[in-house]
Amino acid sequence: MRAVAVPGPDLKEPTRVRTYPVVRALLRPVAHMLPHRALAAGSVLGLLLAAVPRLYERPDAELGVGLLRAAALAFALGAAFLLDDPARHITAAVPTGRAVRVGLRMALVAPLAVLWWTAALLLVPEAARPPVGAMTLEAAATLALALAAATAAVRFSGQSEPGLGAAGGLLAAAVAATLLPVPLGLLVPVADPGWDSAHQRWAAVLAGAVLVCAYCMREAVRPNASRAALTSPSGTSGPPRR
Amino acid sequence: MSDTLTRTTTEAPARKPVPARGSGTKAVLALARFEARELALQIPVVAFLALYLGLTGWSLYKNPDDFPVLHDVDRATQSLPLLLSVMLFVCVNRAVLRSRRRGTDQQFDVLVVEPWRRTVAHALSVVPFAVITALVVLAEVYWAASRPGPAGHPSPAELAVGPLTVLLSGVLGVLLARLVPTVFAAPLFAIAAFVLTGTIMSVSGNPHWLQWLGPVVMEIGAAPLPSDLLGRPAGWHALYLAGLVVLMVCLAVLRSGGRTVPVKAVTALALAATVAGVYGQSPSESEELRAARLEATRHPEKVQSCVDRGTAAYCFFPEWETRVKDWQPVVQGVQSLAGGPAAAARLTVRQRVDARYGLESQGSLEPASEPGQVTVGTRWGGNRIPEFAVGVASVLVAGDEESVLDMCDGRVVTTMWLALRSQPEPMTALRNLRIDDSVKGSAIVLAPTDPLAMSTEQTRIVSELLRRPRYSVIPKVKAHWRELTAPGTTTARVAEILGVPAAPQGTKEDDSCAQ
Repeated sequence: MRAVAVPGPDLKEPTRVRTYPVVRALLRPVAHMLPHRALAAGSVLGLLLAAVPRLYERPDAELGVGLLRAAALAFALGAAFLLDDPARHITAAVPTGRAVRVGLRMALVAPLAVLWWTAALLLVPEAARPPVGAMTLEAAATLALALAAATAAVRFSGQSEPGLGAAGGLLAAAVAATLLPVPLGLLVPVADPGWDSAHQRWAAVLAGAVLVCAYCMREAVRPNASRAALTSPSGTSGPPRR
Repeated sequence: MSDTLTRTTTEAPARKPVPARGSGTKAVLALARFEARELALQIPVVAFLALYLGLTGWSLYKNPDDFPVLHDVDRATQSLPLLLSVMLFVCVNRAVLRSRRRGTDQQFDVLVVEPWRRTVAHALSVVPFAVITALVVLAEVYWAASRPGPAGHPSPAELAVGPLTVLLSGVLGVLLARLVPTVFAAPLFAIAAFVLTGTIMSVSGNPHWLQWLGPVVMEIGAAPLPSDLLGRPAGWHALYLAGLVVLMVCLAVLRSGGRTVPVKAVTALALAATVAGVYGQSPSESEELRAARLEATRHPEKVQSCVDRGTAAYCFFPEWETRVKDWQPVVQGVQSLAGGPAAAARLTVRQRVDARYGLESQGSLEPASEPGQVTVGTRWGGNRIPEFAVGVASVLVAGDEESVLDMCDGRVVTTMWLALRSQPEPMTALRNLRIDDSVKGSAIVLAPTDPLAMSTEQTRIVSELLRRPRYSVIPKVKAHWRELTAPGTTTARVAEILGVPAAPQGTKEDDSCAQ
């Protein structure tokens, strides 16, 4: 076989990929690859739940709180599948970092989430609508928790489709939250004197989830040793032996 | 060459080994065992099983409920298994969809175990968890029954609900995976089911049939009622759940291709059982039940039997006979401190309950107007004991429960001293009896029927008396019994008789009930 001289990259000056053109180029394919069905199912179920108080003659704010929480959880469960990417191990080798790819997915869903939440709030009749700011904080924290679970699953287990695990974890967290003792409770009723302090805890959950998300969005400098021994990120060959 | 090939291909099916009879069952059981082990290794299942066991153990350890009412304890075992159910539902669903996610569905086509047998195996993999739940439920009831003074009997149908819920959630996971083979369906379905059963169906204002379509109907809040006044269609509900479990399995089997005659027959049978269960549990409280509840509230003597012990007759609802030996020492303790005719007065201790509002709410008991009748509730243990002592003491002092209402004078001191002195730890009992948990100032004191009011001065005198040794107070009480219990005797006079120094100037109060 004849050796072919392949023009290599300029090693003197490391190629710095400009993010903006990459993002623009990625926009359409990433939008195409979003888990539309899971997102749609979560959104539709959430809207249905938010509309339930309309069936009641005299809905109260407690009913509204419970159903809006369930609606936010439904949307977040759908969003937990956001990072599912069957091609993850193949795209691991491209020069565009995971942070950009994951961030792009999140950015594409953000306007949808805002629109959806507005619609959900408007679906709850005025009489049953709990304080909007506090409920928005809860919904944002729930969504952030779902995304944090998904990014953490990607970072630490290297799964290509972390959605199911993240959704299961979020569901488990939601069930566990109902069991929290009163001084640490998150799911407090509107009339409860601990409403404000509970929302400080919600804010802490949101902040924590966002931090976890931000930390886990980047690739690990060294891939998880136990996983790396089994598969290479691109699925083509084993890792180089040292 | 071609001849050989043709022969080989035509002969091949004949050489396929015919599976021995029963090997299908064996394969299903082996697969079920494997899947159960896989389930038991799932983090959510392990975590929530541990949580279930932990919470149950903690509640048994932390609040060891003495004097349990077993036909209420059985119902209390139903809610915690729901924790395990949610996670089992999601994880079983994931296990059924595993082959689809991993793209090995096609490989299964070449195996002898048909898809419907796999479905059965997945459904069976939940059974060990239902068995664990059943063991926990039995342990809870056994624990309660071995506490001091249990009353009533647990109902097997109520006990079956916990394990059946676990089983139902598992087979629902299998069915959902066969109907909607996508991974995101299960968590969303769980939310929808939770909202549907928890928020919409089980609200107490809803019609009876709608409430009972949910897996667990708790109905708690009221004081324990006699078991014939419960009015819970527990047997029908257990039949409904069991029918539903079998129906779900059959539907999943039918869906995955096992359309044999026996399966269809079992499906029809399960459907019939479910419908029968729904039909049986749907009617709301009957007129007879309402009449019986009213009767037990207004005229308990018609359903009660009485026994004579010492100076008192004890009348109880049939399931509380064992409580008489717990009530008797309290009555004797209080009466032994009383003087005059009260020391030998004939009392009737009557167990009463307000059953008019069902299992979830109750009114407070009306004071009885018969002289010498003391009310005791269906709960016992803890604070109920000093409350009952207050009831006995107030009847000994005032004559009957109705007269206690306008007792605001010095007799309150006598009553409270009688009640508390008979208790092993009088000051703790005083603190627990008062609604604000104080031992100073004025407060409301709990009693089996209407509460008593204590003024600041009365509180001071009672605590002063309780600090003194018994033998220095008892003779004074016995000697001056008539004056101590006469209506209109002022608190100051009672303090004088019992030798408690008067309050400092400026803190005098009058004894009017208007305070």
